Amino acid sequence: MRGRKYRLTRVLAAGLAGLLCACGCGGSREFRPIDPNAALFWDRQTDENRDLLDGIIAEFNQGREGIPVKADYVGGYPEIFRKLVTSIQARTVPAMAVGYQSMTTVYAQAGAVLPLDPFIADPEIGLSEKELDDFFPVVLETNRYPTLENGMYSFPFCKSVLMLYFNKRVLAAAGLEQPPRTWDEFLAQCRQIKERAGKRAYAVAVDASTFDGMVYSMGGDVYADGKSLLDSPEALAVLKLYETLGKEGLAYQILAHRYDDRADFAQDKVAFFFRSSSHRTYTATLVEPGAWGMAVIPQADPERPQTVLYGPNINIFQTTPEQERIAWEFTKYFTSPEITVRWALGTGYLPIRKSAAQDPRMLAFWNEWTYNKAPFDCLSFARCEPNVPGWQEVREHIENALAGVLNGVQTAEEAAAELKWRADKVLEESR
Amino acid sequence: MMRKAATYALLTAGALVTAFPFVWMIATALKSETEALAAGLDIFPERPMWGNFVVMFREAPQFGTYFYNSFLVAFSVTAAVIVTATVAGYAFARLEFPGRNLLFSLVLATMMVPFEVTLIPNFMLINALGWKDTYLALIVPWCANAFSIFLLRQAFMGLPAEFFDAAKVDGCGHLRFLLWIATPLVKPAAVTVGLFAFLGSYNSLMWPLVVTDSDKMRVVQVGLTLFSSDEGVRLNMLMCAAAVVILPTLALYFAAQRYFLESAISAGIKG
Amino acid sequence: MWTRILLTGVGVGVLAALHRPLIRGFDQVLAWMDGFFEGVRGKRWRDTPLALFLLSPVLVILGTFGIAPLFYAVYLSLFNFKRAPRPFIALDNYTRALTEPDFWKSLLVTVYYVIGTIPVTMVVSFLIASLLFRIGRGRGFFRTVYFLPYITAVVAAATVWAALLHPQDGPVNAMLEWLGWEPQAWLLESRGVLWVISNGRIGADVGPSLALCCIMLFEIWHSSGFMVVIFLAGLTAIPRDLEDAARIDGAGWWQATRAVTLPILSPTLFFLLVVSTIKAFQAFNSFYAMTGNGRGPQNTTQNLTVYIYANFYEFGRIGYGAAVATLLAIGIVVMTAVQWRVAGRRVHYE
Repeated sequence: MRGRKYRLTRVLAAGLAGLLCACGCGGSREFRPIDPNAALFWDRQTDENRDLLDGIIAEFNQGREGIPVKADYVGGYPEIFRKLVTSIQARTVPAMAVGYQSMTTVYAQAGAVLPLDPFIADPEIGLSEKELDDFFPVVLETNRYPTLENGMYSFPFCKSVLMLYFNKRVLAAAGLEQPPRTWDEFLAQCRQIKERAGKRAYAVAVDASTFDGMVYSMGGDVYADGKSLLDSPEALAVLKLYETLGKEGLAYQILAHRYDDRADFAQDKVAFFFRSSSHRTYTATLVEPGAWGMAVIPQADPERPQTVLYGPNINIFQTTPEQERIAWEFTKYFTSPEITVRWALGTGYLPIRKSAAQDPRMLAFWNEWTYNKAPFDCLSFARCEPNVPGWQEVREHIENALAGVLNGVQTAEEAAAELKWRADKVLEESR
Repeated sequence: MMRKAATYALLTAGALVTAFPFVWMIATALKSETEALAAGLDIFPERPMWGNFVVMFREAPQFGTYFYNSFLVAFSVTAAVIVTATVAGYAFARLEFPGRNLLFSLVLATMMVPFEVTLIPNFMLINALGWKDTYLALIVPWCANAFSIFLLRQAFMGLPAEFFDAAKVDGCGHLRFLLWIATPLVKPAAVTVGLFAFLGSYNSLMWPLVVTDSDKMRVVQVGLTLFSSDEGVRLNMLMCAAAVVILPTLALYFAAQRYFLESAISAGIKG
Repeated sequence: MWTRILLTGVGVGVLAALHRPLIRGFDQVLAWMDGFFEGVRGKRWRDTPLALFLLSPVLVILGTFGIAPLFYAVYLSLFNFKRAPRPFIALDNYTRALTEPDFWKSLLVTVYYVIGTIPVTMVVSFLIASLLFRIGRGRGFFRTVYFLPYITAVVAAATVWAALLHPQDGPVNAMLEWLGWEPQAWLLESRGVLWVISNGRIGADVGPSLALCCIMLFEIWHSSGFMVVIFLAGLTAIPRDLEDAARIDGAGWWQATRAVTLPILSPTLFFLLVVSTIKAFQAFNSFYAMTGNGRGPQNTTQNLTVYIYANFYEFGRIGYGAAVATLLAIGIVVMTAVQWRVAGRRVHYE
């Protein structure tokens, strides 16, 4: 008789707390901004790029009425994605955030991100036909989501393309003058480098986007119609290439987040690495201009080149009408011809407007160094990655497969089969 | 004699292995960037750059914020745990009320609950309360824990009953007795509880990782895992950061060494 | 930030200056409250009102964040969070967990970790404590050195270890090369440690991966200090006459230990075993800090805690994560109960 009352009360209290949360979390409420007094922009830039971005934001805020835009460094892309998923759960979101297409689909599924077509079509603050034309088609296309009625749910922010970085000194030591143009040439050059120069040829930063780019350059695709194509002949060819490179000791895996490939490249320990063109600025600080270069990645068919388009987009979230409008206006400001050129010149990213090709500053920049224009030239045939829900997780599986074949843990066939199975499972679950 | 020498030799060897990571950490922290990266077997720097610690704070000013957050949260939790554990320990030790033992068992039962199970629901609760990315989320859930209550209850039960009877005769009620007389008498247990609370809060990673987003709310452990930039990880700076993160607990240990060891021992022996 | 510190300082200063009248006033309030509680003290409920008053923060906090989550976790595990609105799927998450190879793989990683760290740590710590017990001078110094890893934050120490084990730049591989051995990929190596040691004769997926072994080594390094201190205290507490008796009977060190020391230390051993096992099942910090996301190469360092974290926090499978967590909790309870049964019986109490 004695103890029961207390036990009962405690159990009731606990149960009530649980129920309250369930009720609170179950219902759909409107989204609120994290900061009511500033349009928060979650970004990942660091160091000088961040300073440049802050400067651009300050310019945008100057002389404008209303609440300012404020950038917050929340971490890398995975961190931003995680934080946003949980913020959406909490119904409190920033005004804007950077992200990849696969992340945007997740946000859109929760109803948190705004479609931008109404803004674009708006007579006052929208973009005219001529302005829309000025964008490279691929950067706009990549922001249209087929699973969301082709609506534009994000807008291009920073764009870059996958490039082959080659070290001229190491190539020369192996008796080579030009970087490879086809994948067969690439493998042959790697072998020659090992034989003649005694060094390993390729420092591998395992990354799913690199894989996608290579599959495209082999003439294939990674996704179509709701299913992954990760066991297609082209995907298998890429996995086989890594397997061979690993088996013959021509390539080794580095810790991607420590950028060891750049470091080893600078110390002439490797000849090649594959990264986005945005790494140009950092590589340039480590190696002098005459000793290295960037080229389009090797192709199965050099006449019809393909590469992958990197780079995050801006997502604008449902907050308040005022913050949404400001977010759009900032996006429009940031992607205007003037700013896109400044951003491109200050960072390693590419300008996303065709008119940038006429800008004298860009021309001067391209004249500075032979390879400065190479990434820009790739923009016309760069392809975007899949932007369907669940792809974010598929990327993890791709990276596991790459590491597996490179380190000889799996054969290429095994890896491809497992990869396809896992990817399709995730895609099915996330639809 | 030989056995003594052998014993010392073995112990020294073991100590060297144990301490090596720390030595390497400090040595690398004092190197220049290129020296740190190409080090290999050269453990000690050519010229120790003591200024690196200052440089680190200058280049990563957010680390100051991280430390502020970590300390604020840790001190708050420590104070709260000491208070709640003291009053609860006293209640369970000295007060008489129906269901006392059952309630105490229930409190102890919370120690058995593994962290993974409470992580997700607590996170959802924090979201629902709107506490995400605030100090409340970092502090409140940790303001009471069963182990501290257990320790302080033991301590209070160890006080002779005559104390309270004498005080009662003098007209001193429970609350005043608790605050002015009983608490000072259980100071060692309270200090132990405070130490554990501080360490637990300062060293925790998973909970802050999950409930904080923005840079200004981050704590030092999370900040350390994010210590990199597009320029690549600067190893010497990273080691500086690691060393600075370790420093407060080291200082605390040397200041309160007796309590550390005694608490570890009493936990083990009485367990 | 500095204004905050300044304001805090000012606040503290004000409190310090006014502390005497504040204390007196506070005492008055307490006295009044004491009187109140004495007044409402009845025959049946006795100290209940006062107890409730003193216990309320504890009850609220432990109830909300310690007990209620158990129920809420089970509730969450009955839904599928990948679809909106969340459909109720009853026990589907549980059947999924029990049929998902990744779940069993994570369980295996956890089991490898528990088996790989606890016995080794206990043996190593016991040996170190025995050695320390023999020396008089310098005992405090050595004890401090061995205890040091235990008090350093796991994240910081793990970061240092990861740098030590860096495949290209770390001193460990440099040492191996100097000795003429093959450098290893350590935290990037997904193949088994047995495969590495046997030069490929034992299959690569037999046993824990080399990466997992690195984390286990870290854990042994980190926790031994705690056990050394406890063992040392236990050894010091053993009555000398028992040991001397064993010696006189001609027993060597190992016989004396087995006959006298270990039985007397058995409560301590048992306590350490139970506590370490529970802790090992919840390990996360070292995994996360040494591999960047906890999962490691080919997911070979993904223990159950990392698995739960990844599913819930990174992939949004909240219900599934809750189901796995519930299964884990049940597992821990069962295992602790088994430990009590099996090992508890061999514990000698005075």
